[in-house]
Amino acid sequence: MDLKFSPQDEQYRERLRAWLDVNLKQHQAVSKAGDVEPVQAARDWQKTLCEGGYLGLSWPREYGGQEASLTQQVVVSEELARSGAPAPINTIGISILGPTLIQHGSEEQKQRYLPKILNGEELWCQGFSEPGAGSDLASLQTRAVAEGDHFVVNGQKVWTSLGMIADWCFLLVRTNPGAPKREGISYLLCNIKTPGITVRPLRNAGGGSHFCEMFFDDVRIPRENLVGEVNGGWHIARSTLDNERSGLSGVISIENSLDRLLQISASLNRGKERAIDSDSVQQQLAQLWIEKEGLKYLGFRNLSDQIANRPPGPAASVGKLFASRLRQKIGKAGFDIAGPLAQVGKKSPHSIARGRLQAMYFDSLGYSIGGGTSEIMQNIIAEKVLGLPRSYED
Amino acid sequence: MHFELSEEQNAIYDLVVGFMADKWSGDNRRQGLDSYPCQIPGELLREVADLGFYGISLDENSGGGGEPLLTSALIAEAAGGGLFPSLLTTTLVAAKALDLCDADSNWLAKVISGQQTVAIAIEEPNGCWGLDSIELTPQMDGQGGYLSGSKILVSDGDFAQVFLVAALLPDGPAFIRVNANAEGVEINSMRRLDGQSIVELEMKDVRFEQDDVLGDGAILNQVYDIWTVLIAADLLGNAQSVLRMTTDYAKERQQFARPIGSFQAVAHRLADIQVDVEIGRSLLYGACLALEEESDEATALVSAAKAWMNDLGVNAAETGLQLHGGIGYTWELDIHLHLRQARSNAVTLGDSKYHRARVASHLMSPEY
Repeated sequence: MDLKFSPQDEQYRERLRAWLDVNLKQHQAVSKAGDVEPVQAARDWQKTLCEGGYLGLSWPREYGGQEASLTQQVVVSEELARSGAPAPINTIGISILGPTLIQHGSEEQKQRYLPKILNGEELWCQGFSEPGAGSDLASLQTRAVAEGDHFVVNGQKVWTSLGMIADWCFLLVRTNPGAPKREGISYLLCNIKTPGITVRPLRNAGGGSHFCEMFFDDVRIPRENLVGEVNGGWHIARSTLDNERSGLSGVISIENSLDRLLQISASLNRGKERAIDSDSVQQQLAQLWIEKEGLKYLGFRNLSDQIANRPPGPAASVGKLFASRLRQKIGKAGFDIAGPLAQVGKKSPHSIARGRLQAMYFDSLGYSIGGGTSEIMQNIIAEKVLGLPRSYED
Repeated sequence: MHFELSEEQNAIYDLVVGFMADKWSGDNRRQGLDSYPCQIPGELLREVADLGFYGISLDENSGGGGEPLLTSALIAEAAGGGLFPSLLTTTLVAAKALDLCDADSNWLAKVISGQQTVAIAIEEPNGCWGLDSIELTPQMDGQGGYLSGSKILVSDGDFAQVFLVAALLPDGPAFIRVNANAEGVEINSMRRLDGQSIVELEMKDVRFEQDDVLGDGAILNQVYDIWTVLIAADLLGNAQSVLRMTTDYAKERQQFARPIGSFQAVAHRLADIQVDVEIGRSLLYGACLALEEESDEATALVSAAKAWMNDLGVNAAETGLQLHGGIGYTWELDIHLHLRQARSNAVTLGDSKYHRARVASHLMSPEY
């Protein structure tokens, strides 16, 4: 047993660190100066990452990928997370649509879409959830009717992250309402400028507005934008949902939050002592560290499985469920530690760390909902790992 | 990068689990509750020794199996899950302690082969855990000295021929070898909640010689960490067994014309324990690797594993009892045996609060 990377991987890491040292600083300087519009700055950063060879690591070279080893992929996600570099703005396209097209797309689709996903030229959003189809995604109702060489789409999608700035959307639509619900769904690629699409921003509980609702009113999508077979969309979408969270980048971002919380508790006074000197705060921080370490070593176990070519399977749900709970515990601990000033708004001079703790708290609340709620993760673990009978009719 | 069990480790784990299932059952443990202490019959004791596991994590030069510490932890885990007496874990630790102390090789050989039982005496009747709360201080003279005082909660002390007694010497903490039949030694059973052996060791002017003094502060810390991680492993195995038992029951037991495991109120509690077991297993492997590599974070990771497993072991057993309903509250079902074992281990060598405090001091240290 060992946690060491090969000397080649370590050299690769060194090169990436040196690269980040120059390029990330440059990007941060540009962002800080504020001369470039933020979305454009984010696109530029993604382009820089892409040109540096640090995106699409697992993708085939012919579509702009790197065909890098699994351990190199881990090194990149570790180092990007550790440096505090912003994630590429097209993360949804890179992590979900890209692998889907590589697996199920036609040759034309791969050549047409993959390189532009990577270099950020075309930003993607995901049109899966609907007002009536959340956890029960397969019950989605947005209709697509074939008419000549087009599909005509009518319906509504919701919780669409990046919907306001995306150029394209990958959609799940119902093409056969008579079939069992999983057998009547198709996977379409839709240009957001197509007539009949209305996008409205939704403000989230934390005050931000990074997700949207989208309305489709007789939207005509060319038949060539169908991925895979008609009515085969559900299985295509499923095959890449499990793909989502591998590696250790999630743990590192949790580690960064916890370190920030430690620093804040060392700088905050509660009565005559620093917050961090109190027994109960120490106990709380220690518990969070313990859980973070547990998640980290779970990540190493999962990674070893992947290196040995053992499929991650439903065990990935364990990590997702635990990580979102841990983020929320850290978020709540921030409020406990801040004490009476926890409620002060970020624009007040009395605010703690310019509202960082409050932002951390509200951010954390989304993690147990997006990408499958915690309750659905519990169902998956109960059914697929423990083999318990299904708890609901389907 | 490979953070997984070796083939040997998987094989040893399976072997011990199988051995426990064949040779041991909850009934043996129940008997121990009615007629203390819970004891391994002589013949079975021989078989356990013949498996050759007591020295499994010692160097081959020391007559050991050359396996990493994690292999011992896996054995402790399997034993914990099978409600097997703590003597197995105690001996794994004693062998490791004697080896770390460079004890005489004949003595070590006796322990590894199961001819002699050595118990380790650390806690004192001051309500605290850890080496920092040791107060026992011998009277020294030129060739050795005299020990007077008491140690409590000494695991498997009813069976021990020899005790390693942690004491404060002029140069710092060390073990002092005390024979169970030495003059001035009195052993009183303390009757652990789960029927296993723990004793109070009363010493009155017990004579020891210079070569009865073994180890130093650093070694005692190592022994404490190793023992702690093995008890954490026992708690993990215990939780894993309860989870398996309760999951099986939830699949079979019918109410409202369906298996109770199909109700989310039941299923989600079991799923949560599964999550906690996976995190616990990850912490156990991480702590063993850190100890093996003498990492700066080793002690913090050991404490992380113990704090986590304390809570996991108790929660799993309590949840298991609840989800079994009425039958779970009976003497016949093994759940209360698991609960008793978990409750006892959770306050052995440090409760969760104690270990979280050790983690906190790591987080507050300038090196962090």
